[in-house]
This record gives sequence, C-alpha cells and structure tokens, in this order.
Amino acid sequence: MRRPKRSSVNRPIIRAVQRRTVLQSIAGLFAVRPFARLRGLSQTPAPANLTNENIRALRAIADVVLPASIGAGARDRAVAGFVTWIRNYKEGADRGHGYGSATLAAPSGPSPAARYPAQFAALDKAAEALGIASFAGLPLERRRPVIEAALNTPQAVMRLPARPTGANLVADFMGFYFNSADGFNLAYNAAIDRDACRSLEGSDRAPEPRRT
Amino acid sequence: MARHECDVVIIGGGITAAMVSQKLAELRPAWKVIVVEAGKRLFDVENRFSYRQRSLDYGENQWPGDFVADQGARGLISRTMAVGGSALHWGGVCNRFSEEDLRMKSLYGVGVDWPLDLDWTDLEKHYCEAERRLGVSGEDSPLPEDKRSEPYPMPAMTKSFNLIQLESWAEKSGIPFWTTPQAKNTVDGYGGRGKCRRCNTCEICPTGARYSPDWTFKQLLEGKKIELHDQSIVRKLVLDDTTTRIVAARAAKEDGTDDDVEYRARTFVVTSGYCWSSHLLLLSANSRFPNGLANSSDHVGRYMNGHLAYQTTIDLDLKIYPGMNEQHSLISRQFFRCRTDRPYVRHDLRVWENGGGRGPQLRDAGGRLLLGDALVADWRTRLTRGTARVRGYYAVEPDKESRLTLDPAAKNKWGDPLPVIQHRVDQATQLRASATREHFQTLFADLAKANDGRMANVSNLSYQDHPGGGCRMGTDPATSVVTSEGRTHDHENLWVVGSPTLPTGGCTNGTLTFVALALRSTTAIAR
Repeated sequence: MRRPKRSSVNRPIIRAVQRRTVLQSIAGLFAVRPFARLRGLSQTPAPANLTNENIRALRAIADVVLPASIGAGARDRAVAGFVTWIRNYKEGADRGHGYGSATLAAPSGPSPAARYPAQFAALDKAAEALGIASFAGLPLERRRPVIEAALNTPQAVMRLPARPTGANLVADFMGFYFNSADGFNLAYNAAIDRDACRSLEGSDRAPEPRRT
Repeated sequence: MARHECDVVIIGGGITAAMVSQKLAELRPAWKVIVVEAGKRLFDVENRFSYRQRSLDYGENQWPGDFVADQGARGLISRTMAVGGSALHWGGVCNRFSEEDLRMKSLYGVGVDWPLDLDWTDLEKHYCEAERRLGVSGEDSPLPEDKRSEPYPMPAMTKSFNLIQLESWAEKSGIPFWTTPQAKNTVDGYGGRGKCRRCNTCEICPTGARYSPDWTFKQLLEGKKIELHDQSIVRKLVLDDTTTRIVAARAAKEDGTDDDVEYRARTFVVTSGYCWSSHLLLLSANSRFPNGLANSSDHVGRYMNGHLAYQTTIDLDLKIYPGMNEQHSLISRQFFRCRTDRPYVRHDLRVWENGGGRGPQLRDAGGRLLLGDALVADWRTRLTRGTARVRGYYAVEPDKESRLTLDPAAKNKWGDPLPVIQHRVDQATQLRASATREHFQTLFADLAKANDGRMANVSNLSYQDHPGGGCRMGTDPATSVVTSEGRTHDHENLWVVGSPTLPTGGCTNGTLTFVALALRSTTAIAR
C-alpha cells in the first residue's frame, strides 16, 4: 500500500529539520582529522596515482567548485591536469634556494596525495549519510553542502593554496585551477597565457579575448 | 696529486670568468687557459623547458644541483655554485652606473672615489664592449648625462601593453621613464642565441634568449679555447718560497673521484664573486702573509657593499593584465644625480606590472564561501584596477667593518672555515637614513597621485642587493687590495676581477659594471 503523502503544510519544517540534521552529520564526518578517524586508510601506503573512483569524485567536485560557465570539457581538463600533477609529483626533489637567502630549501615532502584517500572516503561517507553510495553519485544540488562542510571543518579553509598541500582536497583542487594560467585567463577574460612562451610581437596590445 | 700546467688559471666559473676567458682566448689564442669551478656544469639545454615547467608546477629548482651542499655562508644572498654562477638565475638587467659613482667623495663628500686612472670615458668604452659580448637590448635614456658612445647592440624589447599603461601613468609625475636594458635577444641569432619568447621565467630562460655564461663556456669548449675543470674547489693559493709570486692553486675534487689537484700557472685570476674571492685569499694565509694573501693592507674582506631599496605597490585606476612580461620594467635614472643643495640621496627608480593581491579568494568579505561562478564574479570585481610595483635602489656607503671573515665555528667537509658576511653601512649613511626614507615616501606618494593611485606600505629591503666588495680597487696599497685593473698590490701575478673589486655598490644593478671592469682587466692580464 502506498504511504499517504505528507502534509504540504509541514513539509518545509520537516525539510529544514532534516537538512540541519544531515548537514550536522556530514560536518561530523569531516570534524575529526580523517587520518585519525579512518585509521585503516592512514596505514595504507600513499598512492602514486589517484584511482578511477577518486577521479570520478574529483569530477563531481569540479561540477560544484569550478565555474559552470567554462563548460564540462574545461572542467574535465582541469581534473585531468590535477591527476597529472599528482602522478608527476616527486618526493625529495631539489627545491633550490631563494634569492636573498643563505639557506637551501628543504627538499619536497611526501606527495599531497598521501592525505587524500581519507578525504575521499569522508566525502563518500557524507554521501552515504544522504542515502547515496558515493559522493560522485549525489545529484549536483546535494553535493554542495557536502563540499561546504569539507571546506568548513575541522577548521574553515580561508585561502586557496598556491599549490596542492594535501591539507584539504577540495581547496587543493580549487587552488590548482583558479591559480593556474587558465584561471587567470578566465578571470581577466583575456588570453594572457602567463605560463606560455609567446612571441614579443603584439605584446604592446591588450591580450586577445580568452579562447573558449 | 694530479698536476696541471697552464698559462692562466681562472678560479671561479661565473659570468666574470666567462667574459675573461672569452676575451683572453681572443687576445692570446696560444695561451692555455684553465677555468676551475667548484660546482657542476649544467649544460643540458635540452632539459630547460622541462626544468622550467617543474619549477612552475612544483616549485622545484630551475637549475637542479646548482649548489654545493656544504659550501654556504651566513650573509650570502645566493647559494648558486655551478658553471655560470649566480648569473644562471640572472634577470638580465644591464643598467650602467653613472659618472658620479666614480667620484662620490669629490662630488658629495661620501664614500670613496674610485681610482683616478679609471675615468668615465674608459669605463664607458668597456660598458659598450660588455653590452656587445652579453648581447644587450635597450632604449636610449632621454637624459643627456647618460650619453652613449655606441648604440645598444639590439633594439629595445617591445614595451608590453602593461608597461605602456604604466609609463603613461608614471610620467604624469614629471619623471621621465623608459625601458630597462637587458641581456636578452630581441633579434634572432645574436650570439648564436634565439629571440626572446616572453616565457616570463627569466631566472631560467629555456630558449637561450637571455644571456647565460654557460653559453659562452660551451662555445669556448667547442672551439677548444679553454679547459674547464668543474666540481673542483680551490682551497688554497700557494706562494713561491722566495718571491711574492703565486705558484700554484690547490684544489679538491667535489665528486671525490680524484686526489687533490694542483694547478701551476704564470698568472692566477680569481673570479669567484664577492664572497668566495675574499674567502680564498683569507684561507691562503701563510707565515709571510699571516692575514691572507693580497692582504698586507688588511683590506681583504672589508668594505663589503651593495645597495638597499625602498619599495611599494600602488593600486591604480588602470587596466593591467599581470603576466604579459612580468620581468620587464621601466626605469628612470633621474635620481642618479643628486643636487648638491639637497640632502644626499641617489637611487634608481623602477616600475613593474604586478598582480599581487588580485588573486582568487575562497571567501567574500563576510567570510562566506565562494564556489564556481560566484568566485569568478567576486574575483572580477578586484580586477577593474591595476597594480604597479615600484622600487628604488639607493646608494649606501660601506663601513670599513662591513666585512667578510672566516667563521671558525662553521667548516666544510675539507675542514676549511666558511665565510660569514656582515654588511654594515658607514656613519654618514646611518645619519641620513630617515631623510632617505622620507624622500621615498614623498616620491612614491607623488607617483601615486595620478590615476587615483593608492599607495601600500613602503618597505625597505632586508639585505644589501647586488653585493660586491671585499677586494676593493684603489691606487693606495694601504687602503685597497687591487689596482683599477684588478692586479693585487701584493702579488704581481695574482688578479682579482669582478664584483669584489667595487669600492661602492652604486644605486642600480651591478652586473654590467663589474663585467665591464673585468673586460678592462683582461686587456691588462693579456699584456
């Protein structure tokens, strides 16, 4: 027998209560440092590459945190770029010495990717709390509160990192895109192409509009 | 111990060594010249795009392995120790000093005059030679005092859209600006190198458009003009038993593949830069020169110099696109000449495009998260205006106690004490410090006035940039280490060439000046 419909009068209140409860439970998943909570994962060796599941989750993150206006193709390219960055990361690399300093920089540390499995798992747990098996399976509008929780707990992320650090997967991915030459081209709506080797010719004119 | 015999041994493999060995090979093609460098040769040009990319992507060293791990010094501002030296990372700026730099004591009563046998006409001639050898592109100064005897070897680099905007703003202050000369190719093929492709990473130029000493060394090696012994650290110069001539330079192999190496030569030229030149002379002390070679005056390691800078950013009602050509700048030399009826301050003035403070933000002013298109919309509200970075390098005179000394508490793997550098300005410089700051505050504020400019805080550089000194040149052996040509007063066959010989650090980048002096020295060495 079909269950009777809920009163439409009560629906907004119920939704508000349910939403608050779900958000609290989602926040709880990110509230404890993932390594401490997901002990089993933290003992696994750091992955050199992201898994296919991770990449699906990244695409789902990209749909929320990258501009819709750049289109799915550009978002996919951003994900692919991030995956390549992770794959090509070198631990212990020579990081040189800054001008004005007498000291050598410490070699590069462990891959930021070592800290991602627990964070991917927390996203999936948050989706499970919403009744969906994985974060990537969540409808777009239900991903946003999960992403916001991930950026607000345990401490609110205030700035986008210049390069991925591992501290916060979502912020790392956002920083990777928005701080890139593509990100700046988008913001200025101009083909500045900061990191490209370009001809001197024409540089006395304003850059052409951004290519889409 | 392996032994090498040659006519000239050049100790140090940086830009000075490249210029000296190139010119020596032309003037004395029959001479056998060996260049000995402590660091590695990084000649893998084919990998430079890849190094550049990894530097951009991961913050890795653009010149992997360009240092010797245990060869550092407190007070150093660059750890580069490789064939090419600090100029591997060079931005390529080729400003000249001005005539005033040679006669500071006579004109302004500050610092010291450079040796009288070195006049501006002589130095200017060598500036032209340095510009030809490095391949400098530039735009003539509109100031008559900056008159040149030869045109720049290459036309000036295209002024970017950003610099055009900034120039029109900056000149509203009444100060003339033009573009900074640079050792970067603006035509294809100059010196066998390509034309600048505006890669925006001059600290590693992947195309070779920016001059780098490794190009000169490669050309000399291909022509069999010199021998280059890298990873060989010269630890001591050896004095003849009875005369004051140097007979040998003793080196150790950094890679541990060999025993010690001895270089015997008629002439020894130290081109190890402002730090390691004085260091080697001090390390080479013996019973007859207990304070170090070339140091009977006790001036080796003294009068370490450079210049300081005030800088700020100015927010402007201008459309700027950061990243078009970030390392190209505008310059004014108007303040190289200080009026004698005003408080003394000499400086250059530079303007760059700047993107600082205009990056993406994760949260709005109220702390709310910004995602997707909302983030971009917020970002764009901050891009309607532009930013100029403004800096003035100003002259400071070194105190006698501005020194490089040996630090007995810090030793390298060979047991040699490492140097420590402590810059100290003289009393006159200290006394005018507040007036200098006030001058820059007023100047930057005047610049900001146009285009609704808003000036950020003015800050001072925390270290002396473009350092030199330690073996200053002079005519009096009691107060200097070398002659104006770089020959040490104490040893007829020992020369110190390049930045250590500068008595004062001027008020703009020093590379072109010490290269010009090194070329002048080379003529004398070849005699």
